[in-house]
Amino acid sequence: MKKASFLRTASVLLFSVALLFGCSSGGGSGSGTSAASNGGTTTGAPQKDQMVIAVNENFITMDPQNTGDALSSGVQSAMFEGLLIYDKDLKLMPGLSTEYSVNEDATEYTFKLRQNVKFHDGTPFNAEAVKINFDRMSNKDNNLRAYRNYKYIKSTEVVDEYTVKVTLNQPFSAMINKFTTGIISPAALEKYGKDITKNPVGTGPYKFVEWVQGDHLTVELNPDHWNKGAAKVGKIVYKPVPENGSRVAMLKTGEADVIYPLPEQQVETLNGAEGVKVERTPSTITRYVSINMLKKPFDDPRVRQAINHAVDKDAFIKVVKSGYGAQLESVMSPTIAHYAKQGAYEYSIEKAKQLLKEAGYENGFTTDIWGNTNSDTMKGMQFIQQQLQKVGITVEVKSMEEATLSDEIYGIKSPEEAKMNMWYVSWSSADPDNAMRSLFSSENFPPAGANTAFYKNNLVDQSIKEATQSSDQDKQKQLYGVVQEHVFKDAPWIFLAVDEILYGKRANVNGVYITPSGGIYVREAAFQ
Amino acid sequence: MFRYIVKRLIEIIPIIFVVSLLIFFFIHLVPGDPVRLAAGKEATLEEIERVRQELGLDKPLLTQYVNYMQNLVTGNLGHSLKTGLPISDMFENRFSVTMTLTFLSLGWALVLGLLIGTISAVFRNKWPDYVGMLTAISGISLPGFWLGLILIQVFSVTLGWFPTGGVESWKSYVLPSLTLGAGIMSMLARFTRSSLLETLKEDFIRTGRAKGLKESVVVRKHALKNSMIPVVTIAGLQFGFLLGGSVVVETVFSIPGMGRLLIDSIAFRDYPVVQAVILLFSLEFILVNLLVDILYKALNPKIRYDS
Repeated sequence: MKKASFLRTASVLLFSVALLFGCSSGGGSGSGTSAASNGGTTTGAPQKDQMVIAVNENFITMDPQNTGDALSSGVQSAMFEGLLIYDKDLKLMPGLSTEYSVNEDATEYTFKLRQNVKFHDGTPFNAEAVKINFDRMSNKDNNLRAYRNYKYIKSTEVVDEYTVKVTLNQPFSAMINKFTTGIISPAALEKYGKDITKNPVGTGPYKFVEWVQGDHLTVELNPDHWNKGAAKVGKIVYKPVPENGSRVAMLKTGEADVIYPLPEQQVETLNGAEGVKVERTPSTITRYVSINMLKKPFDDPRVRQAINHAVDKDAFIKVVKSGYGAQLESVMSPTIAHYAKQGAYEYSIEKAKQLLKEAGYENGFTTDIWGNTNSDTMKGMQFIQQQLQKVGITVEVKSMEEATLSDEIYGIKSPEEAKMNMWYVSWSSADPDNAMRSLFSSENFPPAGANTAFYKNNLVDQSIKEATQSSDQDKQKQLYGVVQEHVFKDAPWIFLAVDEILYGKRANVNGVYITPSGGIYVREAAFQ
Repeated sequence: MFRYIVKRLIEIIPIIFVVSLLIFFFIHLVPGDPVRLAAGKEATLEEIERVRQELGLDKPLLTQYVNYMQNLVTGNLGHSLKTGLPISDMFENRFSVTMTLTFLSLGWALVLGLLIGTISAVFRNKWPDYVGMLTAISGISLPGFWLGLILIQVFSVTLGWFPTGGVESWKSYVLPSLTLGAGIMSMLARFTRSSLLETLKEDFIRTGRAKGLKESVVVRKHALKNSMIPVVTIAGLQFGFLLGGSVVVETVFSIPGMGRLLIDSIAFRDYPVVQAVILLFSLEFILVNLLVDILYKALNPKIRYDS
């Protein structure tokens, strides 16, 4: 065996490798709190001028007028500004306009524009630039996402260099929220055409540097911004990191300064980690189960109310949302304008059984609940299943991959064709119109819209319509109050929870927030 | 040999044609409407129809296929339904990243797999054999997803030696390639061991030993070379596994490669991108198999490729 000494040396080497493997498995189950020491040294350096923000998905487009996902628009908000902008709490504040007025029936909006503002490519910002942008969005042939809201615009007039008047073809009070859409440099629009999605040029506090598909997107500070000095970080790098565990690891090592979202289950692993902070903020995301009111036995309001009484919402938040969330006490999140709290369906098995008995379902019934394949959704559906079992309702859980599910729900030809009984789902909106008209107006039954409970109430329909046609805030509040009251009473949903947004950041990060709608607010980004 | 290679290369054309046909029709059979996903939950029916027309998805399937093939022949992979970007642009960086990762994994898996297999065979039923086979079994049984996260926890978070993800320097490839190669390394080790044990029993080995050749020479020059054919076959076949495995590894390590692109595109029913990625994967697989056949010849000149 002497002859094979080289093999022996190699086997010793191999043994060491195997040992290392063994050690690494053991170490992996530990909490890994020593991470901060490594990260701390790199991120604590005062000269640090680059911030890394890790998010969970890829960005789709950088054309703010053709964007449908919260993440892309979150990144765009660093580079683009609308006539109005949302602050970190979703309150409208002056952006590229300094003031505006609106006529009584919400058909004419006049904006005074901010002066001495330049786009990143040097093009001056003025009324003409606004007109070019609004004309682009309100033109059907351009096939932009923003057309959905800008189709209400009949004309945009340049009154003088810094005044612009927008006339709508019908009253639409929610339009004011839509003026937050980013304005693009007219010169860049002409130069790049459809390729503007890869070459974003706006007026925002940050300028576009590069976008490597699937890897990162970098922006740098705009030294000429009108609100100079608010943001202090020289460069921001946005990175899509889909795997939750990897995102958390990046925050621990200091490779990322901010991570969003932070899954509820991962909060525990970050608690106690040095140099790391977990932030919570109420979101605009409502979590509910949509009940198909066209189907028996759900056509009986007593059955729907009974289901609401049978589900313990506090337990839901504890079990499914790991304690991060609040009970849903109306049809939308309290962060949205004109919110009217309705209270809650008291958790009472007795009441639920009584109502079921009155409706003729003393012995319960069998039904099913649909949802996507996400593990949190599965947990939520199983929770509902277990709760309803207590009042004799047997629920079969059916999970489907997202695209298939969407096809089953929205791919129907008529409401009667819908096979869905209950759907475990969520909805996010930044304004009351999107929170109510989209979900409860009878014009929006699938396939035409997202009223998946097939809810129809003439008073609700009428109130929504009147609210959209008035610019009077008090009147809107009263009308949307009526909608919330009736919908809550009619119980087309199991009202579950309002999500909390959880994100993590290094302790030295200031001025970066995740807004309730999931946008990334970097207008005041700074390191301590 | 040259004629054989040319013949094989020509044969690829009809194969690719059949593969493209299968991919195209299968992906359209999968439920889920890309237009609905592209237009979003709030889209009206009118909007959906407009998007459908713009993307050309309102045309009969056969017409769509003909258009797709026409584009393909001219080297145009089309545009993504999701981002509107040309697919060739999307592949630009991702292809080299995935290829680097795949070949690195295969490279170290081959080296280490052969080494472990050889040591185990030479020291059969002794402690080096047990350690080697324990390592191999661990490598096969640990799911890539889990192994990746453990490696991140130990080598990135605790020790701080390597980045947790992305592709910035050579360091970024270390953990992902270890994760990806672990399974194959183990399989190669096991195959090398059993194949070598078989060979070591052969008459020509006994002759060699009787002639007084050094044991290391017997193993390296005679036995190992003759045991390589099944090992090369496995390595070639496992290349497909590596491409599939890269999907998981790229997700865990946030690597912007083809695997992640494929997953994202399937979820979104981004037909043109899914088609292009699978087609490329198939092509690579076919080429690697051709390489394997050529290697057979190099390893054993007795194998003849008659045309």
